[in-house]
Amino acid sequence: MQKTLEDVDLMVMSLKAAVSMVLTGDDAVRCEISVTEALTNIVVHANPKTADAFVDLIVTEIPQAVVVEIFDPAGAEAFDPRDHVKLLPAVDPMAESGRGLGLILKCADVVRYGPVDGRNRLSLAFLKAGRNQSRPKKPIATQSGENS
Amino acid sequence: MIHTTTLDENITLVRPGAERLTAANAKMFKDEVTDIINGGANRVVIDFKNVTFLDSSGLGALVGVLKKIGHRGDLVVSGLNSDVQQMFRICRMDRVFVVYKDVDAAVQSMAEYQ
Repeated sequence: MQKTLEDVDLMVMSLKAAVSMVLTGDDAVRCEISVTEALTNIVVHANPKTADAFVDLIVTEIPQAVVVEIFDPAGAEAFDPRDHVKLLPAVDPMAESGRGLGLILKCADVVRYGPVDGRNRLSLAFLKAGRNQSRPKKPIATQSGENS
Repeated sequence: MIHTTTLDENITLVRPGAERLTAANAKMFKDEVTDIINGGANRVVIDFKNVTFLDSSGLGALVGVLKKIGHRGDLVVSGLNSDVQQMFRICRMDRVFVVYKDVDAAVQSMAEYQ
């Protein structure tokens, strides 16, 4: 997708349709919220600021979850949301901003971030129905050289 | 983008006019509702009946218009679908906004407390 807010909505709607047979109900909503916030954060804050930069997204189904990998535009500085998040309970209820990173983390079951093939990748996993009774504290899978 | 209707009891009904209230249109929504408030509307129902998704930017815009109306009037919301309700719950907005099932319930309640 191109790095525009309009493309965020288009991408998320495509994603929602693609995972609709796997994630349903609250799980689907959590996925939609988390990915929307992640993509919006990249579009608004990541360099380069030009709309012709590309954000790439890969969706994979594994036995226990749907994994959405989001690749920053080439050249963007690393930004691990886990290092900058203000958790939702700490956000002033009357604040008009500051919830995005908290929502990414709150709504995804597993969050990983790190360099992959020269680009920064945010990986968000959403457990399928019946799998999220107790959310894992460790990643579903770990790749070498990646933060988790 | 918004659609407005003036109802009985001097209540202004606002519908966002978009299925998704997100970063792509939240500022426009906030600016247009703010214009209505600045124009004198002080009893406002924002109906989300036709809104299927709300992100943190949309939520922020909604908080912004609630702050704008402040103590000069009332601003309530209605018609939240289950997805939008979930967003409200996660962000604890159900503790900030008065939420009604639909416009009729909102108007009836506002009329009773005029």
